[in-house]
Amino acid sequence: MHLTHELELFPDHSVTQLLFKEVKNAAELRQSAVAGKINGALINPTMLVDPFQVLVAANKAVNLEKTGKMKTRSLYSEIIFNLSPTNNISEAFKRFGISDGDDSVLVVLVHNKDQPQLLSDITAAVNGRQVPVEDISSLSDQTKIRKLYKITPQEEKCGTLLDAVVCRMAIKDVM
Amino acid sequence: MAQENSMAVPDFLSKAEILKQGAEARVYRAQFLGKPTIVKQRFPKRYRHPTLDEKLTHRRTVQEVRSVLRCRKAGKFSSISQRAVEILHFHFSSGIPAPVVYFVDYTSHCIFLEEIIGSSTVRDHIMSTQQSDSCKELELERLAERMGHILAKMHDEDVIHGDLTTSNMLLRCSLENGESDLVLIDFGLSYISALPEDKGVDLYVLEKAFLSTHPNTEALFEKLLKSYTAASRKSSAVIKKLDEVR
Repeated sequence: MHLTHELELFPDHSVTQLLFKEVKNAAELRQSAVAGKINGALINPTMLVDPFQVLVAANKAVNLEKTGKMKTRSLYSEIIFNLSPTNNISEAFKRFGISDGDDSVLVVLVHNKDQPQLLSDITAAVNGRQVPVEDISSLSDQTKIRKLYKITPQEEKCGTLLDAVVCRMAIKDVM
Repeated sequence: MAQENSMAVPDFLSKAEILKQGAEARVYRAQFLGKPTIVKQRFPKRYRHPTLDEKLTHRRTVQEVRSVLRCRKAGKFSSISQRAVEILHFHFSSGIPAPVVYFVDYTSHCIFLEEIIGSSTVRDHIMSTQQSDSCKELELERLAERMGHILAKMHDEDVIHGDLTTSNMLLRCSLENGESDLVLIDFGLSYISALPEDKGVDLYVLEKAFLSTHPNTEALFEKLLKSYTAASRKSSAVIKKLDEVR
């Protein structure tokens, strides 16, 4: 169901993604996240193309945390910020963080190897149905994604949408 | 605290496979975020003053990734609405293929890029084709035309590659129709410039590299230039400058 990947650059850090549909308590979750009570990043899955996109954001966030160069205040807000093609933090939260009316949410956790407690804490907190993370492509709003990342049709002819998105995420701080 | 953790990338690379070592950088191959990845590491040059070395290395890294993204995004249509572009998109040619950048670590000056699997360099392809039977002449001409076309697009985007050789162009076999994709790599010496002189020199570098690596290919290179001239909107000034240098 959930997807866990151990970061090659930071072997004691694993990134776990959990996807939920039919979420009824998005507002409550968002408030908890803002209050710092949730140990994870809550992301709007309609803006995501593939779980790899999240890994790229998480890897960059952990790297910046380790070197003390994060642009935002916490690792989880940094992950959300890294998904955005721009360097505007509040815009990133608005577009990629969850909103009160959302009915789906992707939760991202960064943790040491095996921490089943973390997973069960999250599944308990979310009032929704957990689905395989691979289902995320069925939730992607490709039109919205193309518009936000300003992706041209030519670009998609020589690469995938995921390629275009990841490239912008990786280079945005120097563009 | 910050110091100890900036060893993450070097530690990772110490266990990776080295593909190439150049004067400027080392190229590794590894698995990164579950994908086959090429890591290009610009290492410190001890003969340089450390502050200068850091500035220069950082700038080269930044220029390289900017050029890659600029190539991939090529062909912006600022005056046409997105909807109009969508409707007409089958009329437009594709962008300039370059590897996807996954991650850049500015502390260790490393660029993590997509590894283009199942590819060979244009250099190897031309060499093996020339060694086999001559009915492949047409295929090489077609390849030269495509090269001219891609370079025209790149220069129209004002990207100067800076190190054009047949080793810096890959042919990636795409599965659907068996046709190969031409992919440009190694943007380490690239920069942005609108000057025809810079574009002319870019082509001159390629011509020299091309003719010295592949004997008896003058006609082939002429085909490349012809294709470039036809595909580029600003080619006449560039070719004029090229002729001046030649």
